[in-house]
Amino acid sequence: MNIFYPSRNSHFRSAARGLFLLLLGIGMSFGVSAQDTEHLIFVSAGTFTMGSDTRAADEKPMHKVYLNAYYISKYEVTNAEYYEFWKQQLEMASPGHPPQHTPENFTHLPQIGDWPARAEQFPNHPVVGVSWHDANAYAAWKGMRLPTEAEWEKAARGYTNRTWPWGNALEPYANTAENNDGYQNRLAPVGSFPKGKSYYGAMDMAGNVWEWTADWYSDVYYWHTSQAATKRPKQNPTGPAVGSWRVIRGGSWIDTITRCSTTFRFYLYPNLKTSFVGFRLAKSTK
Amino acid sequence: MRNYLTLVILLILCLPSFGIVNEKSGDHSTYVQHVEQAFILMFQGDNLRAISEFEAALAIEPDHYEILHYLGMAHAQTEFWNKAVESCQRSLALMPDNIEALYSLGVAYFRLDQWTDAVASLQRVIELSPQHARGHEMLGKSLVKLRRYAEAVPILTKALSLTPHAAGLYYELGMSHLNLKAYPEAIKNFKLAIAYGPTGYAEPHHGLGTAYFRSGDREKSRVEMQVYQRLQREFAEYERLTRLTRAEPNNLEAWTELATLLMNQKNFAKAVSVFQRCIELAPNNAHFYHGLSRAFMSLNYPKHAAEAARKAVQLMPNQAILYNTLGSTYAMQGESQKALSAFRKAVELDSDEPYYHLNLSRLYQGMGNQKLAQEHHRIYEYLLSKQK
Repeated sequence: MNIFYPSRNSHFRSAARGLFLLLLGIGMSFGVSAQDTEHLIFVSAGTFTMGSDTRAADEKPMHKVYLNAYYISKYEVTNAEYYEFWKQQLEMASPGHPPQHTPENFTHLPQIGDWPARAEQFPNHPVVGVSWHDANAYAAWKGMRLPTEAEWEKAARGYTNRTWPWGNALEPYANTAENNDGYQNRLAPVGSFPKGKSYYGAMDMAGNVWEWTADWYSDVYYWHTSQAATKRPKQNPTGPAVGSWRVIRGGSWIDTITRCSTTFRFYLYPNLKTSFVGFRLAKSTK
Repeated sequence: MRNYLTLVILLILCLPSFGIVNEKSGDHSTYVQHVEQAFILMFQGDNLRAISEFEAALAIEPDHYEILHYLGMAHAQTEFWNKAVESCQRSLALMPDNIEALYSLGVAYFRLDQWTDAVASLQRVIELSPQHARGHEMLGKSLVKLRRYAEAVPILTKALSLTPHAAGLYYELGMSHLNLKAYPEAIKNFKLAIAYGPTGYAEPHHGLGTAYFRSGDREKSRVEMQVYQRLQREFAEYERLTRLTRAEPNNLEAWTELATLLMNQKNFAKAVSVFQRCIELAPNNAHFYHGLSRAFMSLNYPKHAAEAARKAVQLMPNQAILYNTLGSTYAMQGESQKALSAFRKAVELDSDEPYYHLNLSRLYQGMGNQKLAQEHHRIYEYLLSKQK
């Protein structure tokens, strides 16, 4: 799904646009104020309850999971942050070849827009149009990684049984497809819903964009985890060994709020680049 | 400055290629638009329109194995199984070892009764992903269809180890053992299918009856066959009433019969929605609120149950049974005084019903009033003996 620059009818106009974007890129390297990339939240080691016995089949059974301490980013990775990475890719790209890890363009969605123009237009929006591989490459570039599915869920619900990161009450504290959150049919800048923060203080863990996690998806993975954990909680699960789809979590601006719960699991082919999936980062403490 | 110069040089080198890349990018934008729209429609459950969008996207860029698979999944959702096979095959031609596309292909073949093809596809799934529960399940079912029971047993057993409590798998495993004349194993698995299955799951009773018969236990076989026949009749009645209410959505009599049937089948979750429909059609009928309250109580939702019971009492303030139900909903929530008041009212309106006294007795017991608890228990026993 990835083509370098957006459309123009003639070679001349394409070239001109390429020049413009490249110069824009140069300018932006000095002009865009990125979200503070060091906004990491410490999540202490311990056992938490994962999954739900009362919601979707693939969330069953509710089971105990032990995780080592880790850090998770407070915000989803923004356009401005990703732009710094992409700019380096641009510099390294062979002539005539688009840089690796270029986000998809969404010409039909001007409220999201094309890359890299949207990095300047919406620097604090979460980056979208990135594949799992792009997200992974960005994380590695930052010396971090994608959170596992278990790390993501613990950061969202903590030691509680919260349906949504903020609690169990149905509140407009997330950017969803509902029409009561102030961001109809568009992304919100990261951190726009402070009341929606999670148990650990992570923002936008419900809505705005789905978030890639490190794990392959399996609808019965929790059964394995819980069966193995009859005597003691599963330690630091990292998902199935193989799969077709990567787990995405948290719901997005195109989803109903029920799909934005702390336990709702969804999946996508890892090479897909859509307007509703972004990511956040994690880091082990050691 | 050095950075700037590098980028300008890069730009000059890239210039000729921008045109080449961009010539098709207008089409690519349209492709992206179709794919995005297809996902949104799929999430909303509108698979027919999602299919159109996926097809439009693939008409522009045909070689996306993942989009071809999504198209296959959308076809499967709408039960266009031949189309699902075609889309999955196209996807697999581009990415042969894609586990989920192989699984989808296997399911589509299964639905088309092409079990040999299903087996081939699903065997590949479990080779690639040895813990793939759905792959094992569908492979086991396909082998049963092909009467390859001995091969089905280990596959279904593995599937059950990956998806515990799956009633359908226990049933298939029971059928395999039955056909292999391993009757004790068949009986064990049919019993588990019944234990874990939904209310009214008839087929395992037939299997169990057959297994008992073949192992010489005719009495147990007869009992199971009777249960099977009753459940079949109830299922037929359920189907009839479901069709009737669909064809005549304002037919209150049909909705009422359906609600009664569901309560008898202990299918309380469905009963709730049917009682709610009855209330829409007859908002002043206390009996529907009462039924709704009982269904909620059975589902362990005492607050909802109390709300419905209060409404029933408002509509028919002289019906003892409604107060008894209301009292039970309060008791479930630990609201003893409110429960006491409601149970007393029930006894006041109908002092000859033994169970109202029993409820009062239990409530007093819980509140520590042994004297009144014993008194009402004696009345309960007396009234019960009179009834007998």
